[in-house]
Amino acid sequence: MVKVYRSTVLNAPADRVWRDLRDFNGLANWHPSIVLSRIENDHPADKVGCVRNFQLKDGARIREKLLALSDYDYSCTSAILDSPMDLRDYIATLRLLPVTEGNRCFIEWSAEFECPPQKAAELAETFGGGVFQTGLDALKKRYGQP
Amino acid sequence: MKITVIRSAVIDAPIDQVWAVLRDFNSHDRWHPAVARSRMENDVGGDVVGGVRQFSLTDGAELREQLLRHSDREYTFTSCILDSPLPLIDYVATVRLKPVTDGNQTFWDWRSQFRAPHNRAAELENLVGRQVFEAGFTGLRTFLAEQAALPRTPAPEEATAVFAAVGGEHLPSKAVVVAAFGGPEVMSLSDVTVSAPGPRQVRIRQTAIAVNYLDLKHRRGISAGFDLPATPGMEGVGEIIDVGEQVNGLFPGDRVAYLSRTPGAYADIRCIDADLCMLLPAGVSDIDASTLLKGVTAALLLSRVFRAAPGATILIQSVSGGMGHLLSQWAKSLDLTVIGTVSTAEKAKFSRDYGCDYPIVVTGDTPLAAEVMRITNGRGIDYWVHSSGAQGLDTAVACLSPCGHCAVIGDRDGQPIPLDVNVLKQRSLTVSAPVCFDYFNDRPYLQRLAHQLFAKIQSRMIIPAIQAFPLSRATEAHNRIESRQTMGAVVLTPGG
Repeated sequence: MVKVYRSTVLNAPADRVWRDLRDFNGLANWHPSIVLSRIENDHPADKVGCVRNFQLKDGARIREKLLALSDYDYSCTSAILDSPMDLRDYIATLRLLPVTEGNRCFIEWSAEFECPPQKAAELAETFGGGVFQTGLDALKKRYGQP
Repeated sequence: MKITVIRSAVIDAPIDQVWAVLRDFNSHDRWHPAVARSRMENDVGGDVVGGVRQFSLTDGAELREQLLRHSDREYTFTSCILDSPLPLIDYVATVRLKPVTDGNQTFWDWRSQFRAPHNRAAELENLVGRQVFEAGFTGLRTFLAEQAALPRTPAPEEATAVFAAVGGEHLPSKAVVVAAFGGPEVMSLSDVTVSAPGPRQVRIRQTAIAVNYLDLKHRRGISAGFDLPATPGMEGVGEIIDVGEQVNGLFPGDRVAYLSRTPGAYADIRCIDADLCMLLPAGVSDIDASTLLKGVTAALLLSRVFRAAPGATILIQSVSGGMGHLLSQWAKSLDLTVIGTVSTAEKAKFSRDYGCDYPIVVTGDTPLAAEVMRITNGRGIDYWVHSSGAQGLDTAVACLSPCGHCAVIGDRDGQPIPLDVNVLKQRSLTVSAPVCFDYFNDRPYLQRLAHQLFAKIQSRMIIPAIQAFPLSRATEAHNRIESRQTMGAVVLTPGG
């Protein structure tokens, strides 16, 4: 199993950031690598079990299912159903934790998946250094520097 | 009223560095400004789940907390309060760290839940949030900065000064002083003054001071390490009056026992290195604990020096003596058959009461070897503990069973002892000459032996026989030992 973990501190309260992140269909609003996204079957984006279908800048299509959403824990967990990548059992969690000192928040993005061993390092970098870090950098920019 | 307090911060250090400090549940007195001193009960580590730490705050409050959960994988631990002067009811707190991968920092989440009386809820919520959690963030940052500035040297804690002053500067005391080498009469009780404990020292009001053979040799001037004028005594038991700077884990009022290579124990009050002190468990009296050196020596002889199998025979010379009667009880608890030598019938009866199966009264013309062979049906002794130097060592070696062992104990200043190794080779015998202090430089080992001793005393597996003399009658105590009139251990009690 491959594990990927990235985290940072955002200069905004968890409540504020969560307003943006809890929208399972809102990825395209803040993540630079994602251009289009919709929820299949016209389900609401906070219906646990709904599927988002989104397109990356390079044209690749990915389908992800919402497995868990918690306004209480500021967390969102999803699984990849279909993707062009050679992996399976991909589950990712995005979570916020308040930093009471300075009224900021800590954000962590983690994922686990299975893939052929020779692909592990490359895919870990695709998600960790690519998707996750790019997203976190965009959020840091979005909420400004302390 | 159920209260939840959550505070979190980002620490500008990698998670492993922060966790290295926080994972020790007992570390708070090193970095938390509100904690003056802290120690784990029963000497367990700060990462032992179930362990209890006892700590005092800089305002003097005493608390006890128990470690409920600890995970190096999750960088988290959870504890609850057992005792507190504040009404923090069902208080459970969790520390959790997460790595901030972007910038190599650490996110620290500290939260607790508890119940409190309505009229004190706001006050306690504020206290936990600010004085415990937020002050802790600041304290750890300072600690890490100091650690980085002074590698390897822990910063002295300002909090220790609070306690260092408790006993005042100088205290009047009485000490036994030897001004010239000689018989017991050279010892006299003098008035002395004991100054406040220095760094890493504690000042103790002693309650029981063991008399050991080494003290007699020091007094006679036939053992090194005793420069006149001096006070004899290698060990003591008492209560801590006050502690010096940089002392961790000891409180005023603690009952402790210590062993020291430096004489000076025959006194009412004395300062001693904090590192030498061992806390006494509740079930062990001061006077029983004063058998520490003799007891751990017995333990040493039965573990690292030679490990006799259950059912083996051990012969203990002077089995009615201070060390002998403890060694025989300990050997008995290991299912050894104990044979002992004594000088009188009265001592034989005494040693039978203290674990010796076959006491042999040795007088000038006792055929000791024949007696030993009769008792062991000609098999001989598996382990002979010899304490009379050159005298009778031939007999000891002759009486050993094949592959048997003889430990020659006593200090190293005695007469030369001839030993023919070829004789040992006949039956694969081994001989050792252990001097306990050499083994006790291994501090954790000594601690383990002391715990074993205290546990055996608590469970009454070992019952020390003790003859106590007031400190003012140290001369009489030495006289009685030299004229071989004592049985069991001899102890001096100050203040009597």
